[in-house]
Amino acid sequence: MRLRLKFDRPSGRDLTVFGGYCVASAIYIAIGVAAFDFMLSFWVAAAYLLVTAWLIPTLARRLR
Amino acid sequence: MSWAAHDLEPYAIQKHMKLKVAFVPLLIGSYSPDMMTKWFVYGIHLGPWDLKASDPAQFHRGWPGFGFTHSFLFGVAIGLILWKVFGWKLWGLSFIIGQAAHAITDTGDTVGTMLLFPWTFHFHLGAWAYAGQTGRQTDAAAYFSGLGSMWDLVFLLYGLYSWRVLTGEYFDTVIYCADAFWPWLNRRVPRGALIVIYRAAFFYGASRWIAWTIWAHVIHHYPYDLSWGGPHWVHAAHP
Repeated sequence: MRLRLKFDRPSGRDLTVFGGYCVASAIYIAIGVAAFDFMLSFWVAAAYLLVTAWLIPTLARRLR
Repeated sequence: MSWAAHDLEPYAIQKHMKLKVAFVPLLIGSYSPDMMTKWFVYGIHLGPWDLKASDPAQFHRGWPGFGFTHSFLFGVAIGLILWKVFGWKLWGLSFIIGQAAHAITDTGDTVGTMLLFPWTFHFHLGAWAYAGQTGRQTDAAAYFSGLGSMWDLVFLLYGLYSWRVLTGEYFDTVIYCADAFWPWLNRRVPRGALIVIYRAAFFYGASRWIAWTIWAHVIHHYPYDLSWGGPHWVHAAHP
């Protein structure tokens, strides 16, 4: 019997969204490593994510 | 204690239970055992006062102390209040599952948890050192040098493997439908923001795991010690 690991492939749209979150994460990590107080709170992370992954893209779409 | 598993586990549970759980109380349950106690374990400065537990491990996991928050009884008590007092059955059951996941995960360290409180026996595997008593930075350095961080990594990789749980489609068809909280919030907040809120704990756990690992091993060069009960360069607390 052969065991196969089935991986569901993401679409281009999924990868674009994932890429956006990766950029937001990279900035969050850079700030967190420089000042670790920044990454102690879930609420700070949630607020940061709302700004970078929702508010800024929404405003950018409206301005376009 | 665990640093990122409690952020990531709810997504793994959600993947397997789908409409049978509500995500928000699952996450609150997962955070609940440490919600009121972590600050006093590490200590804070408040004007001229330094507030810190004299025996952080005892305060956090023991009895007398707040160790009962890491027991099944605590989860069931809060869950029953949500169910029987407020009539939120799904929230109650989801809270119980999330809180139990936290209590079980924390049995991995050297102090463990009183899972069957009021029986005060500490169930512990002793796989990684409990070092909360050394302060936040040393605790972080120790945790991200031992098997605890590898346990977090399992959930991080499993979450990425189960990436569909994080998609907008999954949010619309499962998360949103399972819990009246989301339609209620949707009356005030647009859908795009709701999805970001749903993904926030995964983002937080994953980003924090990477950031603390860089902080401990690239900036400060703490040595890895993936042996059982390690890292042994830190004094581990025991029950």
